[in-house]
Amino acid sequence: MIAPKFVPFILKQIIRHRARTLLTLGGVATAMFLFVAVQSMQRGVAIATEQSAGDNTLIVYREDRYCPFTSKLPEHYLPKIERIAGVKAVVPMKVVVNNCRASLDVVTFRGVAVDRFVEQNESNFQFIGGSLADWRKRSDAALLGETLARRRGLKVGDRFDAAGVVSYVAGIVRSDEPQDQNVAYVHLDFLQQTVDRKLGIVTQFNVKVDDPKKMNEIAAAIDAEFRFAEQPTSTRPEKAFVAQAAADMIELIGFAKYLGIGCLVAVLALVANAIVLSVQDRIKEHAILQTIGYDSSLIGRLIITEGVMIGVIGGMLGTFGALAVIEWGQYSLSIDGLSIPIQAGASLVVSGLAISIVLGVVAGLVPAWQASRRSIAACFRAV
Amino acid sequence: MRLLPFEYAVRNLGRSPLRLVMSVAGSALVVLLMIAASAFVRGMERSLADSGSPRNVILLGAGSEESIERSEIKSSVPTQAIASLRGIKSRLGQAYVSPEIHMALTVGIAREEQSTSQVVVRGVEFSAFLVHPQIRISEGRMFQPGNNEIIVGKLASTRLSMSEQHLALGKTIWFDDKAWTIVGRFEAPNTVMDAEIWAPLNDLKVSAKRDTISCAVLTLADGGELEDVSAFAASRVDLEIVAMSESEYYRKLIAFYQPVRMMIWVTAALIALGGIFGGLNTMYAAFASRIREIGTLQSLGYSRRAIVVSFVQESTLAAAAGALFAAAISLILFDGLAIKFSMGAFDLRMDGAALATGLAAGLILGIIGALPPALRCLHMPITQALKAA
Repeated sequence: MIAPKFVPFILKQIIRHRARTLLTLGGVATAMFLFVAVQSMQRGVAIATEQSAGDNTLIVYREDRYCPFTSKLPEHYLPKIERIAGVKAVVPMKVVVNNCRASLDVVTFRGVAVDRFVEQNESNFQFIGGSLADWRKRSDAALLGETLARRRGLKVGDRFDAAGVVSYVAGIVRSDEPQDQNVAYVHLDFLQQTVDRKLGIVTQFNVKVDDPKKMNEIAAAIDAEFRFAEQPTSTRPEKAFVAQAAADMIELIGFAKYLGIGCLVAVLALVANAIVLSVQDRIKEHAILQTIGYDSSLIGRLIITEGVMIGVIGGMLGTFGALAVIEWGQYSLSIDGLSIPIQAGASLVVSGLAISIVLGVVAGLVPAWQASRRSIAACFRAV
Repeated sequence: MRLLPFEYAVRNLGRSPLRLVMSVAGSALVVLLMIAASAFVRGMERSLADSGSPRNVILLGAGSEESIERSEIKSSVPTQAIASLRGIKSRLGQAYVSPEIHMALTVGIAREEQSTSQVVVRGVEFSAFLVHPQIRISEGRMFQPGNNEIIVGKLASTRLSMSEQHLALGKTIWFDDKAWTIVGRFEAPNTVMDAEIWAPLNDLKVSAKRDTISCAVLTLADGGELEDVSAFAASRVDLEIVAMSESEYYRKLIAFYQPVRMMIWVTAALIALGGIFGGLNTMYAAFASRIREIGTLQSLGYSRRAIVVSFVQESTLAAAAGALFAAAISLILFDGLAIKFSMGAFDLRMDGAALATGLAAGLILGIIGALPPALRCLHMPITQALKAA
C-alpha cells in the first residue's frame, strides 16, 4: 500500500483531466448500477426460495396446478388436514390476482379465515398503520404489506380497488416474510363472495408443522389423504413451492447473471482504459519522479491506487444509486400471485465496495507494471 | 466551407488499430443489445396485438377483464347469446360463436414427469376455427372429441422447454392426471395461440371437473355492433358477464406488460449510456493527442467546423461499422428465435423497426462520442495548439 501523504497527489492526478475522469466515473457508476440491480434480483430469489432450518410452513395446492385461478380445493379438507399427526395449525386461503402472468405490478389478494390467521401470524407482523382490531371489525377490510402500500401510495382509510376487488385499507404491516410484503390480506368469506359468489372453495391451505424436520413426511401424509379425492393435492414446503411455481421467472433472473458479469467486465475495461490513457500522458512525469528518488515499486503502487480510487468512487456512485432506486421503487417480480422481491441491503454495499477495489487493482496492474519497468532514459525519450 | 477530404477521416481510423477495434466492438455490443431489446419488445407486442380481431367480441366473467384464465361463466352463455343477439356472423346456419376454456397447466411426458412451465390449454369446439381464422393445421388432423386427443401449437415445445420429438404426432403427453394423444399440430403465426395446446371442450371440462367455461368468443356480422353485445351482457345480470372487444383485451395485456418492457428498455439504455461514456473517453484521448495536428489543419485554412465534421465522420464510420456488424449478427442469431415468456412464447422479430432502432443507436453513439471531445480540442488557440506536445 502507499503512505497517506500520497493520497492528495493521487487525487490531483485524478482531477487533472476532469472531463475524462467524470466520463470514467459515469461509466463505472452505470455498470455498477446494473450489477447491483442484477444482484438484488438474485438476492430476492434466494430470500424467496432458499429454505432455512426454522421454516415450518407447508403449502397444500391442487395437484398439477400453479396458477391460483385453477387451484380449487374444498374448504372441508381443513379438519382432515388438522387431524394429521404433526400438523400444528392450518389456515385456508383463497388467492386472487389480477393476472397469473409475470410482471412488476401484480396485485395479490389473500383471503384468510380471520381467527386462524391472527392466531398464527400476529407475532410476524409489525403494524406501521392501523390495527388488527380495525381489520377484524370490517368485512371488507384489507391488511396491506408495506411494499404494496408504498408502491401504490396507499394509507390507512383509503379504498383499494384492484383485480375486481374493492376493499378498505385497515392496516399496513411490515414482515420479514417475502410473500407477506406484497399482498393484501382480506377476510376469506369476503373474497369468496366477491370473486366466486359462493363460499367453500379455497386456493390453498397453509400448514404449520410441529417439527421442521418432519416437513416431507407430513406433506406425504396430506397428499395420501386426498390421493383419491375429487381434487387431489400436492403439498410442498412454502419456499420449494415458490421455487417451482416461479421457475420460469427464476430461470430468467438466472440468465441476468451474465448481464452482471458483463457489467463487471465493462467496469474493468473502463477503469483500465482510463488508467492506460492517464499513464501514457504522464510518461515524462514518471521519469521526473524516478529522478527525484521515487522507486519503481512506489510509482506502480501510486498507479494502482489511482485505479482503486476511480473504481471505488464510481462503484459507490452506482451502488448507492441502485440502492436508492430499489428502495424508492419497492419493486418485486410477481408470477402466479407469488412475489420475488428485488432487495438490496448492507451486504450488497459491502460486496459492491469489495468488487470495486478488486477491479481497480486488476485494472491498474498492467499499466503499473509497465510504468514501473520503464527506465528513466526511456521515459524521457518516449515524449 | 471547405471540408477535409473524406480519406483523411478513413485513414485516421487506421492510425491505432487497437483503438479502432475497441470502438467497433463497443459500438457493435451496444447496437446488438438495442436490437435484441427492440426485437423482444416488438415480438411480444406483435404476438399480443395480432391475437385479437376487431370483429371478435369476448363474453367473459365480470371482474375478470384482465385475464380470461380467471374467468368462469355458465356453459349456457353461448347458446343464450346466439338466441338473443342478431348481429352475430353466421354461415350455412352455423353461428360464429366459440365456447372456450383457457387453463394454465403444467404438462409432462409422463404422469410423474411434469414440466415446471405452464402452458395455456384451450378447450374448444369446432366453431373455434370460425372465430380464429389465423389457425391452420399444419400436420395431422383435428381432434375427435371423447378420445382425449389434442392438437399442439408450433411454439408449445418452446413454451414447455420440451424437444419437438416429445410433441410429435402420435406421442402422448400428460396433464391434469390424464394422458392425451397428439393427433395434430397447428400454426397461428404471431399470435399467443401459437404456443397453446388445444383440446376438445368437453374432454377438458371432464378432466378439470368443471361445469363452467372461461368465455365465449363471437364474431360480429357486418352491421353488428359491440354495443349490442354489451347491452345483452348488461341486461342479463344473472349471467354476471361483460363483453369486450378481443382487440381491446389484448391491448390491455400489452399494457399489463408495460413495466417489463420498461425494465428491458432501461437496461438497454443504461448499457448504451455506459457505451457512450466509454466511447467519449476513448475519443477524448484520441483527439487530445492530435492537438498539434488540429492546429496545423487550422493554419492550413480549414475551418473549425470542417475539422469537427471530419472528426465526427471518423467516429461515425467506426460506430457505423460496428452497427452493421451487429445488425448482421442479430439477423443470423435472433431472427425467428422462439422465446418463452410468462405463459406464452413468441418469435423475436428482426423487422425494419428493430434494425432501424439499432442502427440509429450506433449512429448516435458515433456522433455523440465525437462531438464533445472535438469541440474541446478546438477551443485552444492555433499558436498554443502548434506548441502543444
